[in-house]
Amino acid sequence: MRKMSLVLSVLVILSLLFSFSLVWAQEGASELEIKTADAAFEAADKGNPDPAWKGQKLTIGVYSAGPRGAISGPLYFWRPYFEKLTGATYDIVEIPFAELREKIFTDLMTGTGTYDIIVGPSWFYGDYISNDWIVPSDKYLNDPRMPKWEPASILPPLQELYSWGGKWVGFNNDHDGQVLYYRRDILNDPKWQEEFKKETGKDMPVPPKTWDEVYEITKFFHGKDWNGDGEPDYGITMHLKVAGQGFFHFMALSAPYVVAPAPGDDPNKVTRYHNVYWFDPETMEPLVNTPGFVEALNMLLKLSKTGPSAMWGWSLGEAWDAFLRGKAVICFSWGDVGSLSQLPDQSSIKGKLGVAPIPGSEKYYDLETKQWVEKRNFVANTVGASWHGVISKFSKNQDLAAYFLSWQATPPINHWNVVWGWTGVDPGTLYDLLQPTGKSTIEEYVATGYEAEDAKQFVNAYEEMWYKYPLKQSYLRIPGTPEMWEIWDIHLSEAVTGQVTPEEALNRTAEDWNAIIDRLGREQLKKIYQEAIGYKPE
Amino acid sequence: MSKKRHRIVETLLWIVVVIVVLWVVSPFYWAVITSFKKPADVFRLSSIPWVQFRPTLNNWQTEFNQRGPEITRGLLNSVTIAIGASVFAVFLGSLAGYGLARHRYTKWRNQSMSFWFLSQRFLPPAATVIPFFLLMKSLKLLDTQIALILVNTTFVMPFAVLIMRDMFKELPVELEEAAWVDGCSRWQSFVRIALPLAAPALVATVIICFAFAWNEFLFALVLTYKKASPMTVVIAGTEHTQGVQFWYVSTRLLLAIIPPTILALTVQKYIVRGLTMGAVKG
Amino acid sequence: MKREKGNVFVIPAIIWIFTFTIFPLVYSFRVSISRISYGKITGFAGLSNYVRMFGDYRFWGTLRFTLIFVSISVVATTFLGLGLALVFNRKMRGLKVFRSLLTMPLFTAPVALGYLGVMMFYEENGPVNVLLKYLGMGKVPWLSHPWWATLAVCMVDVWQWTPFAFIILLAGLQSISDEIYEAAVIDTSSGWTVFRYVTLPLISPVLGTVLMLRLVDAFKIFDVPFSLTSGGPGTATRTLTFYIYTQGLRNFDLGYASAMAYFLLAITMMIGMLFFRRYRELYE
Repeated sequence: MRKMSLVLSVLVILSLLFSFSLVWAQEGASELEIKTADAAFEAADKGNPDPAWKGQKLTIGVYSAGPRGAISGPLYFWRPYFEKLTGATYDIVEIPFAELREKIFTDLMTGTGTYDIIVGPSWFYGDYISNDWIVPSDKYLNDPRMPKWEPASILPPLQELYSWGGKWVGFNNDHDGQVLYYRRDILNDPKWQEEFKKETGKDMPVPPKTWDEVYEITKFFHGKDWNGDGEPDYGITMHLKVAGQGFFHFMALSAPYVVAPAPGDDPNKVTRYHNVYWFDPETMEPLVNTPGFVEALNMLLKLSKTGPSAMWGWSLGEAWDAFLRGKAVICFSWGDVGSLSQLPDQSSIKGKLGVAPIPGSEKYYDLETKQWVEKRNFVANTVGASWHGVISKFSKNQDLAAYFLSWQATPPINHWNVVWGWTGVDPGTLYDLLQPTGKSTIEEYVATGYEAEDAKQFVNAYEEMWYKYPLKQSYLRIPGTPEMWEIWDIHLSEAVTGQVTPEEALNRTAEDWNAIIDRLGREQLKKIYQEAIGYKPE
Repeated sequence: MSKKRHRIVETLLWIVVVIVVLWVVSPFYWAVITSFKKPADVFRLSSIPWVQFRPTLNNWQTEFNQRGPEITRGLLNSVTIAIGASVFAVFLGSLAGYGLARHRYTKWRNQSMSFWFLSQRFLPPAATVIPFFLLMKSLKLLDTQIALILVNTTFVMPFAVLIMRDMFKELPVELEEAAWVDGCSRWQSFVRIALPLAAPALVATVIICFAFAWNEFLFALVLTYKKASPMTVVIAGTEHTQGVQFWYVSTRLLLAIIPPTILALTVQKYIVRGLTMGAVKG
Repeated sequence: MKREKGNVFVIPAIIWIFTFTIFPLVYSFRVSISRISYGKITGFAGLSNYVRMFGDYRFWGTLRFTLIFVSISVVATTFLGLGLALVFNRKMRGLKVFRSLLTMPLFTAPVALGYLGVMMFYEENGPVNVLLKYLGMGKVPWLSHPWWATLAVCMVDVWQWTPFAFIILLAGLQSISDEIYEAAVIDTSSGWTVFRYVTLPLISPVLGTVLMLRLVDAFKIFDVPFSLTSGGPGTATRTLTFYIYTQGLRNFDLGYASAMAYFLLAITMMIGMLFFRRYRELYE
C-alpha cells in the first residue's frame, strides 16, 4: 500500500512535468510589445542618472498581481530597462490586496523602511500626510538629474489625487474613474430599439445620460435572451460583495445626487454646502445620510434588481466576467473593463463595446436650502485607487526612488503602459486622449490590439467625463479613510441584500463614521479634510 | 441474516461509498479542471474537458514560467516552517508526555496538568495574534521563518504532548525499570528505551503537526511580508484589484496539497493512529 | 524508583507555553486596557474597551454568527462522522484505501477551499446549483443571501472536518470488543437498542473528545469566511476572529481588538472546563 501510493504519486508528478515540457508555449512579452517599448524608452526623457547609483537596489511595495498583472506587471516589464539606464535595480514586493494597508502602514509606523517606493492607492494619503510618511514629488520636479514628466498633462480632476495643498506629492501612473460600458451592438440594434419603444412608449436613450435612463434600459433587457444563447440574460452587472469594492459603484452613482454646483460665476467653488461630498467641512458631520445619498441608494437598489441576484455576492472578477462574456448589457466600472474587453482569452465582446461617461442625475439635493433642485447634474468621479508611487520617508535612497518614479511618469512610458491593457494602467492624461483634445491617435491603440471603434469610445468617454463635465467629486483623503470605506461597504451590502433599509444603512454609516472621527480626533481630521478638498473657512 | 438481505446491505454500502468518495473528490476535480481552463471559461458551466471546454496549459505555464520563484519560495517556506514546528513540538511534546506518563505529580495533579496542556489548543489564535505581532515586531522577527516556526510550535505542541503521553503510558514500564536497576538514569532510559519504542507515535505526531502547521493561515498572513510567506499566503495572493484569479487558486491549491498528501499516503497507518490517539484509549 | 527526576521532563514545555502563550496574553491584557495610536501605547483606557464591546452591535452580530456556525458545523460533522463510522464499522476490503482518501480534506488549506468554494457555489450555473437543479431544486443564492451564505461557510467546514470525526469515531468503534456486541445481540434484536445502550456509552468518551476538539476549532474559524464570503453579505458571515483581525490589524484599533479576543478566550475556556469536568478520567 505504502509503496504503491508512493510510486503512483511520483508517476503522476513526472507525467505532469513531462506533458508540460512537451507543450511549452512561450507566453510573455510579444515582439510588438518589445518593439514599441524600445521606442518609448528611446523617446522618454532620461535626465542625468547619478553614476553613484550603480549597483544599488530599491525595494518597491505593490499589491500582488504578478509579472503580467495589473499595476505590478509594468514594474517587472521595465526592470531590465531601468537596469540598463542606471546600473541600479529593484526588488518588487507583492503584497496581497487585502493586506496592503496592514503591511504598508506597519512598515511606515515602525519606520522600518522596507519599501523605498510604495505603489499604493490614493486613499492612503490621509495617513501618509498626517504622519509625514512620504517625500513629496514636488522637490524633484526641477531636479536636473530627474527625467521630466508633465504633471500638468494629468486631467484636472485627477491632478487633485497627485497633489496636496497645491504641491505635487505623487508620481503620475494610473488613473481611475468609473464610466458606463454598454453593448454597442445591442443598444443600436433597430430590432431592440423598436421593441423598446413598443414596451415603454419611448425611444431608447443611447447612450443613457442619467441613471434613470440606465435603469429603463437595464430593466427592459433584464430577463430577455438578447444575446441568443437560449438563456435569459442580464440587464446590468455590478460587484456588490463585501470587500468586492462595491462601494465604489455607489460612490460614482451617488455623486450627481449629492455634489451641488456653487452659485455665482464659479460652479466649482468649494463652499460649506457646494462641491462637498463627504463631510460638512465646518463640523465634520458626515453627509452620507442626507437625502441625496438616500435617493442614490434607492437607485442602486432599483438597478441591482435588473441584474442577476448573484451579483450581491460578486466581486470584481465575477461581475466583469458576466459583461465580458456577453451576459450583461450594461456595466459601469473602471478603465480595466475597456482593456480587458479586447483580450480574446477573457472576452467575447471585442468590437461590440460602447462606452459613455458616467451618467448624471435628473435632480440634486441642495444642502444649503435643504431642497431638491430639479435639474440634470453631471459629476466626474475619480473613484478607485489611481495606483501610483510615492517615496517613503524612511527610504535610504530617496533620490534613486524619485528617479525611477519620474522616469516611469514620463509621457512616452506612461502612455505605453496605458495603451497596453494588461498593465492595468488606465488612461487619464492629455497624451492618452485622442486628437484634437489630446495628443494620441487611434492607431496607437489599435496597434496593441484594440478594435478601433471600441478604443475611440473608451478614450472619448474618459475625455468627456474628466475634461467636459462641469463638476467633480472630491476624493476622501483623511486618516481613517480605509476604515470608513470598509464600514460603508458593509452597510451598503446589508442594504443591498435587504438586511436593513437604505435609510437605516446610511444612518448607521454616519453613526459609525462619527465614532471613528471622534476616536481619531475631530478637530485634526477637520483640518486635514479642509486642506484635502481645498475648503477655506470664511 | 439471509443471503438476499446481505446482498442488499452490501449494495447500499457501496452506494454510500460512492457518494462519499464523490463528495470528497469533487472539489479536487473542480480544482483540476479549473486549472486547465481559460479565464473566460471559469464561470461557464463546463465540467468535462474537451467536450465542454478546450483545456489550456496556459495557467500552469504562467505559474511555472513567471511565478516559479515565488511559488517555489512559498513551498520551501511551508516545508521549512511545517517541519521546524513539528520537530520542535514533538521534541518538547515527547519530553512532557514522558514526564506525565511516568511521573506522578503531587502539587498539580497529572490530569490537571495534561488538561492544562490540552487547554492551549482552546486558545483562539485571535487572542494571541496581536501580542505576537507586536512581540515579533520588537524582536525584528517579522517576515522570518523563525517567527512562524515559533508560532506553529506553540499551536501544535498540545497535540504532541497528549499523543506522546498516551503512547508512553502504553509502553510497559518494566523495561525501563530493568534499565534503572542496571544503573541507567531516567534520561538514558528515556532516550535509549522509551523513545525508540514510541517511534511510530513519533512519526504520526510529526505528520499531524506538519499538516496543521502547513495549513495555518492567519499568523502567516500577519507575520510575513514576502521572504517567509508560506503557500497559504501565496494562495491568498491570487486576489487582486481585478478580482480573484480562480485559475491560479486552483493551480496553487493543487501544488500546495501535493506534499502533505504524499506524506499522508505513504505513512497512512500512522496518521490514523495519530489522529485517534489521545481520543481513543487502547 | 527515581521519581523526583520526572519533573524535569515537563519543564521545557511549560517554559515554552509561558513564553509564547501566557506572556503574550498578559501583554494582550495590557493592550486591552490602553489607549493606542498607530501601534504605540499612548495612555490608559481603563475598561472602556470592554464597555464598548457590549454596546457594539457589530460585535454581537459576529458573535451570533460564530455561535450559529459552531452549532451547525459541529453537530453536522459529528453526526455525519458517527453515521459513516457506524456504517463502515465492519470488515470490508478497501476500507484502508477509503480511509486514506478521506484524510485528503484534512490536508487541504482552508483558505484555498474558500476560494474554490466561490466557484463551486457560483449561483449561475455553478456545479452545486446545477446538481441541485437536476435534483429538482431552484437556484440557491449561496453567496448573496445571508442565510445561504452562512450555510455555504458551514458546508465547506463540514466537508473538511467530517473525515476527521469519522476516522476517530471509527477507531473508537473498532476498539469495542466483539464479545460485548455478541452478548448484546443475543439479548435483544433491535439495532437501535444495541446502539443506544451498548455502543453509545462505550464510545461516549471518544464522542466527547471529538465534540470538544471540533468545538474549539470551530470557534477559531477565520480562513473560510475570509476567502469564501469576505464575511458578507453585510457582516452575515463574519466570525469573531475575523472581526478581531480586521479591527486590530487593518484598522489598528488594537485595544478594542484585544478586549474582544479576551472575550473569545473566555468562551473557549469555558467550553474546555465543562468538558474537563465531564471527562476528567480521560486525563488520568
